[in-house]
Amino acid sequence: MKHFFDVVIIGAGPAGLCAGNILGNAGKKTLIIERDPFLGGQLLKQTHMFFGSRDQYAGTRGLDIAKIFQNELNSYPNVSVFTDTTATGYYPEEKILLAMKDEKELYEISFDQIIIATGASEKSLLFENNDLPGIFGAGAVQTLMNMYGVLPGTEIIMVGSGNIGLIVSYQLLQAGANVKCIIDAAPHIGGYFVHAAKIRRMGVPIYTQHTIHRAIGKTTLEAVELVKVDNSWKKISDSVFTESCDVLCLAVGLVPMSELLWQMGCDMNFVPELGGSVPARNQWMETSVRGVFVAGDVAGVEEASSAMLEGTIAAIGALKNLGSWNAAIEKKCVHSLEYLKEIRYGPVGEKIRSGLAKVEAR
Amino acid sequence: MKNKAQVVIIGGGVIGCAIAYELAKRKVKDIVLLEKNSLASGATGRCGAGVRQQWGTEMNLKLSIGSVKRFEILQEELEYPYDLEFEQTGYFMPAYTEKQVEQFKINIALQRQFGLDVQWVQPDEARSIVPIINTHGLLAATFHQKDGHLNPFHVNFAYARAAQRLGVDIHCHTKVLGISTEKDSIKKVSTDKGDIACEIVVNAAGGWSQSIGEMVGINIPTYSERHQILITEPYEPLFKPMVMSFYHNFYTQQEPNGAIIMGIGDPNEMKGYNMEHSLAFAKKCSSLVTRVLPPLKNARMIRQWSGLYNMSPDKTPIIGEASTLNGFYMACGFSGHGFMIAPMTSVLIAQMITKEELDIPEVKTKLDLDRFERGELFIEPSVV
Ligand SMILES: Cc1cc2nc3c(=O)[nH]c(=O)nc-3n(C[C@H](O)[C@H](O)[C@H](O)COP(=O)(O)OP(=O)(O)OC[C@H]3O[C@@H](n4cnc5c(N)ncnc54)[C@H](O)[C@@H]3O)c2cc1C
Ligand SMILES: Cc1cc2nc3c(=O)[nH]c(=O)nc-3n(C[C@H](O)[C@H](O)[C@H](O)COP(=O)(O)OP(=O)(O)OC[C@H]3O[C@@H](n4cnc5c(N)ncnc54)[C@H](O)[C@@H]3O)c2cc1C
Repeated sequence: MKHFFDVVIIGAGPAGLCAGNILGNAGKKTLIIERDPFLGGQLLKQTHMFFGSRDQYAGTRGLDIAKIFQNELNSYPNVSVFTDTTATGYYPEEKILLAMKDEKELYEISFDQIIIATGASEKSLLFENNDLPGIFGAGAVQTLMNMYGVLPGTEIIMVGSGNIGLIVSYQLLQAGANVKCIIDAAPHIGGYFVHAAKIRRMGVPIYTQHTIHRAIGKTTLEAVELVKVDNSWKKISDSVFTESCDVLCLAVGLVPMSELLWQMGCDMNFVPELGGSVPARNQWMETSVRGVFVAGDVAGVEEASSAMLEGTIAAIGALKNLGSWNAAIEKKCVHSLEYLKEIRYGPVGEKIRSGLAKVEAR
Repeated sequence: MKNKAQVVIIGGGVIGCAIAYELAKRKVKDIVLLEKNSLASGATGRCGAGVRQQWGTEMNLKLSIGSVKRFEILQEELEYPYDLEFEQTGYFMPAYTEKQVEQFKINIALQRQFGLDVQWVQPDEARSIVPIINTHGLLAATFHQKDGHLNPFHVNFAYARAAQRLGVDIHCHTKVLGISTEKDSIKKVSTDKGDIACEIVVNAAGGWSQSIGEMVGINIPTYSERHQILITEPYEPLFKPMVMSFYHNFYTQQEPNGAIIMGIGDPNEMKGYNMEHSLAFAKKCSSLVTRVLPPLKNARMIRQWSGLYNMSPDKTPIIGEASTLNGFYMACGFSGHGFMIAPMTSVLIAQMITKEELDIPEVKTKLDLDRFERGELFIEPSVV
């Protein structure tokens, strides 16, 4: 089936939804493509109150924020939403985006402007037997528990002491699982102090300078061997010890899902602070390819509040290209740009700021 | 980088690397190989890597049969620590017109003379070889078990490593910009990383061979043409041989890991260096292939890409030294089947450079560049 839209948005996380609402409000013929059956992206897994920035949604649960966005979106008749639909490829020669619905139907979509808001995917680690059933990414554990009400196991070892590792550990404990320990190869705990302190009070040890040596199990995970690392992150060979467990949860960071940007020919930069390869962009979040915008984690792994603002800014950029520029939009835009600066201010935003400094403006 | 060499090879595809190895094996010293990108980044790393011996001329039979003999022992000879994944699962070549049937009959007679055990397949026997084939319209087919495929990256790297072990200098990310000549001999090769004085140059630049010719003022009548290819998710074993239909103009094969690759030739493809991928290709290729192999309708494509065929006017390679410039050797214009004859091609070029007797002496007079000027095109009936 063939379709044309003024603007296509790929991904209905906070970035994509905010972009959709701006474009919906501006009356543009807009399409949002989301591969999951639900809208909200990572927000849906977040049963916790929002942390971090001085955002208007702080204190609201992630999944409730997704509902607020979705309700607004439903009020715009000019916005179409394809769920269960994956954008599988872009063909520069024909300028067509291919998307697949329910693994059955193929859509050929052409557009004037496009906003890529595909988010990020979880990183894994290289170790023996890392494909045994029972080894999960933290996001998968969250999805199972918070969206489908399934506890992945009872004896858990968490790898990674960043905010995600800490929050998911806490949620596992609340759900009645035994988190045996959290390990991290770095010499310091990565996440916020409040989260770590809460976990420690519940009796879960956090071993820094430890990593996973290998996983053990016949058909499913039965135990893991852990090992200490020295200051240069090398394994200390005589420090291996075994812990039994049925779930190993990897919370070792996210990497931007940039495949479509590569296909579109955007100039890309490898920036470790932002999680991997991210596109060069201008202040409107427009990449080196005119009419191709990015927003959210795919532009650099950050957080939901910045994803929302970037989604807003990218949508305004697309409107600008479409010639739909007016005073009200101008105001919103200045506000969003300032707000984005504000949430990246201070020591918490330092890593992001140094990463962004490396993303060449086009 | 050295500023002097005995031989400079341009191109780090399978052809250039194999030539480097065969020369070093023959004790040639001071060999430098220059590659503008990385090894196998050209056609070699993008190809279907099928190896067939079912050809229609003595020349191509000799080249391909000799190459398969080399492929069979290559991993051991090159002391390569990984599997080259040489699988002799055969080529199945269906005929759909009376004309094709007649041609295949002629071919098979010649092939059998060369000792190939090629089977003549009736339509009702086809499914014993390709269980998922739709035999509608099929008149006959030929099948040769000893044809097959390899992993092109491993073959390319195996030759390169062995060459390096024998002292060849390989410089990647080094682009040849010009070649200086004086009268009828070569003086030096200029690159973006400096100059190398030398008297022997091998043009193994694949899709860019014609531009290397321009550098020395020799008109190589080759041109480049995009060919697209796609791959699916891995599936349980469905069919073993490469299925290659001249009638539909496609080839398809299930790889050792279960993924199915397929490609078609597009008669409307324009000459040039375009290496984008198109939706039109994905649609046309899948519709043609699934007509013949219907169960593939449910296969999911995960990736597609393209590479350049370096086409020659008679779709047959140019292998030999230029008659107007001493020491300028060409191994190019493979027209979409250079991988399968890389082993013999490299042996022949090395034998020419070291003035050995050639394994296939008639290459000198039949695959030389001047054949085009003489109007003696090489006619091979079995090319896509
Ligand atoms: C455990 C956890 C807790 C967090 N807690 C907080 C917090 O408290 N505060 C905060 O600010 N941030 C938090 N974050 C970070 C925040 O969730 C992310 O930064 C934010 O969701 C990024 O938004 P996004 O729209 O870029 O991507 P996502 O939310 O990841 O959405 C991307 C969407 O795109 C879809 N998609 C991807 N590829 C395709 C495709 N090819 N075709 C169709 N659809 C596609 C995906 O299915 C997904 O729905 C947390 C993250 C995690 C993992
Ligand atoms: C889609 C597709 C499918 C194919 N399927 C098959 C098959 O099934 N069987 C088969 O036998 N063949 C097949 N082929 C053909 C086969 O890939 C080629 O004939 C073979 O790989 C040619 O090898 P090569 O080393 O000559 O060229 P290449 O591998 O292209 O190497 C040439 C190298 O030269 C380098 N170069 C160019 N110019 C310069 C310069 N100025 N300076 C430095 N370096 C330079 C390039 O970067 C390149 O790496 C296929 C080709 C394609 C595109």
